[in-house]
Amino acid sequence: MAQPYLAARGLSKSFGPNEVLKGIEFEVHGHHSVALCGENGAGKSTLIKLLTGLYTPTGGHVEFEGREAGWSDPRQSLAAGIAVVHQEFSVLGALSIAENIYLGAEPRTKMGLIDRRALKRDAQALLDDLGISLNPDDLVETLSVADKQMVEIAKALRVEAKVLILDEPTAVLSQNETKHLFRIINDLRERGMGLVYVSHRLDEIFEICTDITVIKDGVVTSKGPTTDYTHDSVIAAMVGRELGDLFPHKAANPTAGEKVLEVENLLVAPHLPPASLDVHAGEIVGLAGLVGSGRTELALALFGAAPSTGNVSLMGEPMPHRDPAGCIEAGILMLTESRKDDGLFLNSSVARNFAATTPGFGVHHNAIPPGHEERRAAVLKDRRGVVVDHVGLPISALSGGNQQKVLIARLLENRPKLLILDEPTRGVDVGAKSEIYKTLRELADEGMALLVISSELIEIVGLCDRVHVMRDGELAKELVGDEITEEAIITVAAAETSTHHGVAA
Amino acid sequence: MSTIARATRAQPVHLVVIALIAIVFVIGFSASDRFATPLNMANVQDQMVALAIVALAQTIVILSGGIDLSYAGALSFLCVVFAAIAGDSAGALLLAMAAVVALGILIGMINGGITAYVGVHPLITTLGTSTILAGAALLITRQPSGSVPLFFEDFTYGRLGVMPFGMIFVIALYLLIGFMLWRTTFGTRIYAIGDNEAAAAVSGLPVRQTKVAIYALSGLLCAVAAMYMTGRFGVGDPRAGVGFDLRSITPVIVGGTLLAGGKGGVLGTALAVILLAFLANVLNFMNISSYYQWIAEGLIIIAAVSFFAGKGKS
Repeated sequence: MAQPYLAARGLSKSFGPNEVLKGIEFEVHGHHSVALCGENGAGKSTLIKLLTGLYTPTGGHVEFEGREAGWSDPRQSLAAGIAVVHQEFSVLGALSIAENIYLGAEPRTKMGLIDRRALKRDAQALLDDLGISLNPDDLVETLSVADKQMVEIAKALRVEAKVLILDEPTAVLSQNETKHLFRIINDLRERGMGLVYVSHRLDEIFEICTDITVIKDGVVTSKGPTTDYTHDSVIAAMVGRELGDLFPHKAANPTAGEKVLEVENLLVAPHLPPASLDVHAGEIVGLAGLVGSGRTELALALFGAAPSTGNVSLMGEPMPHRDPAGCIEAGILMLTESRKDDGLFLNSSVARNFAATTPGFGVHHNAIPPGHEERRAAVLKDRRGVVVDHVGLPISALSGGNQQKVLIARLLENRPKLLILDEPTRGVDVGAKSEIYKTLRELADEGMALLVISSELIEIVGLCDRVHVMRDGELAKELVGDEITEEAIITVAAAETSTHHGVAA
Repeated sequence: MSTIARATRAQPVHLVVIALIAIVFVIGFSASDRFATPLNMANVQDQMVALAIVALAQTIVILSGGIDLSYAGALSFLCVVFAAIAGDSAGALLLAMAAVVALGILIGMINGGITAYVGVHPLITTLGTSTILAGAALLITRQPSGSVPLFFEDFTYGRLGVMPFGMIFVIALYLLIGFMLWRTTFGTRIYAIGDNEAAAAVSGLPVRQTKVAIYALSGLLCAVAAMYMTGRFGVGDPRAGVGFDLRSITPVIVGGTLLAGGKGGVLGTALAVILLAFLANVLNFMNISSYYQWIAEGLIIIAAVSFFAGKGKS
């Protein structure tokens, strides 16, 4: 095979005594797209930072077109033709699309002023070339998430790039938007570019990547053409176990338990059809659908955090006026979608986060004695497998998986009858995912009713006993038992939906 | 909404401020015969100049997501220094101008440097420098002292028709800064950093250097205001800047610039300065105590921010 555009040769990186990457061999060839797989913390981000010159290696080197690159600044790698689409959007809402694309490299007039005409023309040409139908004068804040992603890609490609690195680009995209992105990626690859694709979504990797490289604990454990792999063999290389082991058993007879939640004709918004569903004790019910299909809105309405009308009853008791405090009191608890935004108290200790919603639990007076929270939190480790050296550490020091376990443990302190979980494993590595699935199934087996929202189809299929597929705010179809497959869910969820102006369906 | 709209075109908030100015004028006409006289119009403009300059500086800083509270101390200090050096000759005046401009830029660079490189919140940095400079001004002189050449004093009182020279200068400054925000990379960076500093950094913008430049520009404009104020007083007042820290923020916010940065512009600030100056003037004609003017100003700022808060949610 021809010489790779970009390669890591025996690349190692240590932070103090902590060796994050060990002797990595990694190649990106033109006309190829390489998937970079690995659990959170495996070293993927560190590798990308080394490849682009943001970090300097402690061993080995980065090779660009056969020569040692020796970059010490990302601007050098950018100049050489290594473009990166960052996981966190780097586009700015207050600037126009054209300004964003050329931020820091604006075309100038002879006077040194920004040449606005050239700026618009160049941006338009770039967008056209990528098949993105957006107006370069529009402010980015007016765009959908998918269109922002497109601007991000256009920005990365403003220079003549040889290699494009995409770090989890589809995390926020719906299926149709993802398809459009894939068309662009395939197009770039056919033109001869080399691509690096970082994603947790195995389906996508198999759809668009020509090669796979798996990293585990800072070492390349497996690499080769995609055709040599299956879902299970990639997972096995990532975590050292098979996919089937990831999920616990399902309920033998899901609807046998008593009805915990009964919802009739719930109206979340006046223009939407009424929703009816129920959740029994001992079962896990899934809410599947595209991003924006109304899953979270429905859950928030059930939890009383968003206004709605209709009949909701818990254990046969009608709940005409719901608000979050009342729902918690009655036994409906909800794990919110973004733990950083509306779950955790990021600057507080693990112990305080754990005890935050029930601070005085086990205390007879209003004053909470010193050490009370810590004593309560200490049992958490044994009970829910939270790995933490000391419960006095700030919660931000924990991994995503452990943070999520603390939040779930906190919800359980309120002895829920119904637990609503919105994206329970977002940003959590595969190992912790498996533990969370196991915990959720145990709770169901103990008689709790669970309602799970997830964008990861594998999760819905592997975990849920029954699934409601949502589309445009409507409960479009219910799937039970063997009917629950990724294909069945996609068929319902993606039927006749997308109307984004930048991304054609 | 396009880029050009961002920088120049009238936005709803501007129309609201213009409507308020119209209301104030209507009240002014009915309150007193002397309101609409050329003399009064010129006087109100005189009263706007210093505030207009520091509000312009504050607009740039707030657009970048920062804040500059150093004006109170910096204006006092620079006024005292200017009057101490300027004396009564043209040569001394030029020396004083150079010194005050250099000091203003230096103060700004210190503010920006500590904020950008040490990572201290600009609220703290600039509050600190303001306090230091206020003390320094009083150490130099307890009473208003020093002087400026008479021709310079006359110049600050000069008029072209009903328009004071100072006002013409302010208009030129606003046009210049407005153009800078629209057509220079520095201007784009100010908006970018104010909108999302992390994203600006990832995009390869020199965030720290730009911040230092922003505060340096703010200090430079502060020096310009100090020279004008000293010319008007004819003497260096060690308390000249008192109140300008918070007063400089009011027009920026009323003019629709987001306190968090990234959104807004100089047109809104200009309109708000006009509104506040004429409001004070009309209340004077109505023989309403200046304490009520404070109350009115406070109500306006809260109303303005509530207006945007409501819009942000919808």
